[in-house]
Amino acid sequence: MKVSIMITCLADAIYPKVGEAMARILARYGIEADFPQLQTCCGQPAFNSGYWDEARASALTMLEAFQESDFVVTPSGSCAGMIHHYYLKLFESDEARYRQAEELIDKTYEFSRFLVHVMGVTDVGAHFPHKVTYHPSCHGSRLLGVKDEPLKLLEHVRGLELIPLPYAEDCCGFGGTFSVKMSDISGAMVSEKVDHVLETKAEVLVGIDLGCLMNIAGHLRHRGQSLRVMHLAELLDEGMGVTA
Amino acid sequence: MNEQEQAQRQFIVNISQRLGRPMPKTPPEHPFRGAPPFWKEHTRAIAADPARMIAQFIECWQQAGGEAKSFPSLDGLRTFIVDTATEMKARAFIRHRHPLLDELKLEEELSESDWTVWDGQRPEEMKNKANAADIGVIVADYAVSATGTIVTMSSADKGRSVSLLPPMLIAIVPASCIRSSLGEVMSQISAIGMERMPAGIHFISGPSRSADIENDLTIGVHGPGIVYALIFEDR
Amino acid sequence: MKATNEQTVLERAKQALNDEFLRNAVKLTTEKLKNGRLSAAKQLGNWEEWRERARQIRQHTIAHLDYYLNQFADQARKQGVHVHFAKDGKEAVEIAIRIAISKQAQTVVKSKSMVSEEIHMNEALEQNGIESVETDLGEYIIQLAGEMPSHIIIPAIHKNRKQIAELLSRDANETLAPDTAVLAGYVRKKLREKFLAADIGMTGCNFAIAETGSIVLFENEGNARMVSTLPKTQITLMGMERIVPTWDDLEVMATMLPRSATGQRLTVYMSGITGPRRPDDGDGPEEMHVIILDNGRSLQLGDPEFQELLHCIRCGACLNACPVYRHIGGHSYGSTYSGPIGAVLKPALNKNVLEWDDVANASSLCGACYEACPVKIPLHDMLVYLRRRKNEAGAGLCSEKWMMKGFKVVMAKPHRLRAVLKAGRLGQMPLVRDGAISAHLGPLKGWTAYRRFPALAKPSFRERWPHLQAELKEKARRASVKEHVQLRLKQIREKRTKKTGGNRDE
Repeated sequence: MKVSIMITCLADAIYPKVGEAMARILARYGIEADFPQLQTCCGQPAFNSGYWDEARASALTMLEAFQESDFVVTPSGSCAGMIHHYYLKLFESDEARYRQAEELIDKTYEFSRFLVHVMGVTDVGAHFPHKVTYHPSCHGSRLLGVKDEPLKLLEHVRGLELIPLPYAEDCCGFGGTFSVKMSDISGAMVSEKVDHVLETKAEVLVGIDLGCLMNIAGHLRHRGQSLRVMHLAELLDEGMGVTA
Repeated sequence: MNEQEQAQRQFIVNISQRLGRPMPKTPPEHPFRGAPPFWKEHTRAIAADPARMIAQFIECWQQAGGEAKSFPSLDGLRTFIVDTATEMKARAFIRHRHPLLDELKLEEELSESDWTVWDGQRPEEMKNKANAADIGVIVADYAVSATGTIVTMSSADKGRSVSLLPPMLIAIVPASCIRSSLGEVMSQISAIGMERMPAGIHFISGPSRSADIENDLTIGVHGPGIVYALIFEDR
Repeated sequence: MKATNEQTVLERAKQALNDEFLRNAVKLTTEKLKNGRLSAAKQLGNWEEWRERARQIRQHTIAHLDYYLNQFADQARKQGVHVHFAKDGKEAVEIAIRIAISKQAQTVVKSKSMVSEEIHMNEALEQNGIESVETDLGEYIIQLAGEMPSHIIIPAIHKNRKQIAELLSRDANETLAPDTAVLAGYVRKKLREKFLAADIGMTGCNFAIAETGSIVLFENEGNARMVSTLPKTQITLMGMERIVPTWDDLEVMATMLPRSATGQRLTVYMSGITGPRRPDDGDGPEEMHVIILDNGRSLQLGDPEFQELLHCIRCGACLNACPVYRHIGGHSYGSTYSGPIGAVLKPALNKNVLEWDDVANASSLCGACYEACPVKIPLHDMLVYLRRRKNEAGAGLCSEKWMMKGFKVVMAKPHRLRAVLKAGRLGQMPLVRDGAISAHLGPLKGWTAYRRFPALAKPSFRERWPHLQAELKEKARRASVKEHVQLRLKQIREKRTKKTGGNRDE
């Protein structure tokens, strides 16, 4: 069974540890994932800005990289959402590519969904004695419908106190190029999000999308706050390391 | 073909062209007409239980800020209206022309007050009477329990102004007129036929209200601020 | 108003972001309306099924709009209505003015109509010496202030009680206390006189029922009833897409619209008006006109990316759900229609791609609008389509165009990505402090004004992979629960190849 990692450009370049954590968790269940080197980026930054030719060039690497895979797992609800929601549209005028896109969609899973729905795991046996709050990313929850899976996984972590994030479903203001082009609006949104995060008095903020986490962490640091920001895979991996 | 009809043709032809086909000559197949099936089943079950419908209507009407009460007899209804009107110090009334209201004989009970019965004549005078009245009294044509709504349809005997211009409205709701869903009233309206359609069909669900000033709810902005729905258990 | 339209969304947003009261008021109001919608949906139950039914009815109607609109016009005429068709705002205004002049009208009382705002009816009436009075409380307030509505449902969301008291005091020639009951009481008295004396009542139209030629108005105050009951002539302005086929279909719209707008089971008044007063009726208009407006709407028909825009029932739920709207308010959008629906509707109605401003960029594409929409319009997708069309027309930002060209070159080949990351790490060295960048430089400027930017990692994941692989192999070998998991994977893959399962459309 060929399970492949779709690393995403953000994790590849900035947060490689997230990819490592994810791969380690899979390995603990006997899944020896592979990493097809052909992959680059799902194309979302260009797609969302309205540059579809550019997005297609990038998306093609994904179609090709994962042709042989049985499952594709990615630590991002947003990138999985891009593939699920927009690849058919992106390749609608190319029959062969369209079929490839259909295949890719069928086998591509966001990390927490893969764990819960495919592997059938909700308790990874982790121990993480901290107050944690969870930010559900918009694309993961709304485009992809990943809502309960991360919570299920977190609920089973020993010692973890999950504090509900007020206005959790509000966007953090990232939105890719939106955060640069409309920086004042985006800044106001992330500032509100951080207010809510700090209100919880949690020690750790956890999420399933690195774009949002990078945005929120960046503003936390900007305000001199040291609260830890982690991807769900990192948290579970760290918690599993304690019990292993 | 007159000018208006010509404009219509051009306009419609443009739409057909945009849609990429000629205009359908027969009514299009409409598989999604009306509420979803589960809702029809749900409201049918409620409709089978008149007491439940009355209770549901009263609850919804009150939640919207209206007053509601049910009466087993005309005498009880009459006493309540007379007492309420007296307490409110109401002096001028306007009402629909309706057998039930004739039978109630409120004019005799409140003989000190000025009563006007709407009959579709002398429009200017009627308008001024309605505007000067303290209370408008009507008999609802229908009521809907799921939304707490009364329905009144205009006619020569049932001026629209009666339920609109006075600051207070008393609507008598015969229990036999209560339906469980808007949809049941809608199909009755569909069945009226083009020749007999009333010009104004008004669904009323509580007192006139607005939250336009700093979200602060105000009652009685243009229409009646005090609304009574009095159910007469006629069955 | 003209002045603000020449600014960009960003400039207007900046002003709004610096207005404490505005931000707070918008936040409180939208939140209240949003919570109202959520609890109304819960109370009703089966919300998703209702939403789907509402979408189906809208889709069916718009797909057969020629038939149903034609039926509506024919039936309305049979009821004695004068039905007019206007291809743009100018024509609609001309028709209305012609009617007003023929009636020698001095005063027009109006109930809320977004179409009237869209075509600037008030200005036209005033220019012809006809007094035009908005009678919805919020609309009356902004008319006195000479402003545009900033919310579809609550037009004066941006005004506080003190500002309103000042406006109304000037109108009354006496000092009114900043007390809601006092202010609303004044407006009731003042506008009652207007209703009774006006020559023409002008309304909008929430829905028009094809089978009987009726128009339907939803409202809470009673002003739309006044406007359609007291004056001798009624003019109704109607967007051509307001049609529903039957009264039965109206039940679904009546279930969705008030709940989505304010969380009410039904608005206080829902009025179905079918033609002028009957010969024996003592009130109601003696003459009734309906002006049906295109103004760019038909351009959406047959366009697979935007036809669904015509499904909109103008409830404002997308505004209340939108985090961007909440921060910048309605006026920042610079048009009659604000929020997510406005951001799409305005450019879509004016198909002059090159003149679009940056309103489509004012969204993080979070999808909250779609989730809130009672007829499931994918506004977040449409915003992306708009951005694409603008670029295709060659009107995209120059700097962005080059950036995206670079993106294409780099992302098309993994070895180029690897090289760029390497170069980036060298380039960032002088800027990195504690693993992050806070310098306000180049394209990062907007970002670093509010956040620190993380430095590129060394090594990247793909560089680290060969090492990691060895570690993973060992871990996987030692894993104890692997059979069970492997079996599940196998079953799921088999299901997929048999096309009985899969992972799509979640």
